[in-house]
Amino acid sequence: MTDRSDEGASADGNGAPVDFDRLDLLAERLSTDDRFTQVEATPDFAPDRVACVYDPGFYPRSVREARLEIVWFENGDFTVHYHEDHAEGTFDHRWDRHPSDHNTRDHVHPGPDAPTPGTNVSHPSDWRDVLSTVLTAIEERQRGFWTE
Amino acid sequence: MDEPRSDLKADADERAESPDFESLTPPRELVRGERTRDDFFDAVLGLDSPATISDIADRAGHGTDAAREYLEWFERMGIATQVTESPATYERNQEYLRWRRIQRLRTQYTTDELLEYLSAETERDEEYADRFDVDSPDAVSITAHASEVDRTVEDVWEDVTAWQTTRRRIALLERAITTGSGGSSEERTAV
Repeated sequence: MTDRSDEGASADGNGAPVDFDRLDLLAERLSTDDRFTQVEATPDFAPDRVACVYDPGFYPRSVREARLEIVWFENGDFTVHYHEDHAEGTFDHRWDRHPSDHNTRDHVHPGPDAPTPGTNVSHPSDWRDVLSTVLTAIEERQRGFWTE
Repeated sequence: MDEPRSDLKADADERAESPDFESLTPPRELVRGERTRDDFFDAVLGLDSPATISDIADRAGHGTDAAREYLEWFERMGIATQVTESPATYERNQEYLRWRRIQRLRTQYTTDELLEYLSAETERDEEYADRFDVDSPDAVSITAHASEVDRTVEDVWEDVTAWQTTRRRIALLERAITTGSGGSSEERTAV
């Protein structure tokens, strides 16, 4: 049986499975919010993420769609990806915690092209703090669309 | 995060109908549940090793009396397990969470659908085993493999975690399927 000692071993550098329980909880919290028109946890059986589509009302016409995709793993690793589609081009920003050869475990890949290597940062240890930091940063960007 | 490029910004017409950001639930509140229970549930779910009552109270942002009460309740519900007596420490009851997930699979899908998923996941598992040339994701050293095949650590990490997830799904599906023929009391100890 897969038990916690196996997970401990996986956390040691062999990756860890997606934390389905955390994703469900996260989707449950976000799904009631006015920011999003759609929040789907593991949309089909296979996908391993929570996909949130921002209400287009927070964007001018130049932004066709904006979405946030969230994946969390049982060892606390995560990748949170914000994406905008524009008439010409895209904007991406990623908050990551996972092994990489270009950055520390905690890092971000800032827009416009979310380049590699990204910037080393230190994310909060609590997933809720990570997520509230992310949502706040996105809201700041959204507000930026409406200033001259 | 970067400011929006100036050509993407709202024009004067659009600005006349700017969205009302002030009416949104602040992110800090949004990611937390509405009840004290949610705070404790989050704290317990976030544990990766046994923690004391005062540690869990800190994580939840409430007092130790409330923590003791909720932990006792969670233990009765199967969400948390007491690990030591003095000092009392608790950890999340992974087995219960698995059991709950298996129950959910059984209500959401028919046995035929579960079997179909299982066969797709098993196929995927075999593909990963072929690609990495080992029989388990735990046997892969991400950094060593990355340098060996000249891929980035990030890419290899993505594949290995996907493989770990596939393995986890297979275990859940197998239990959901075998549970179908047995009683609902058996699955906690099944496999």
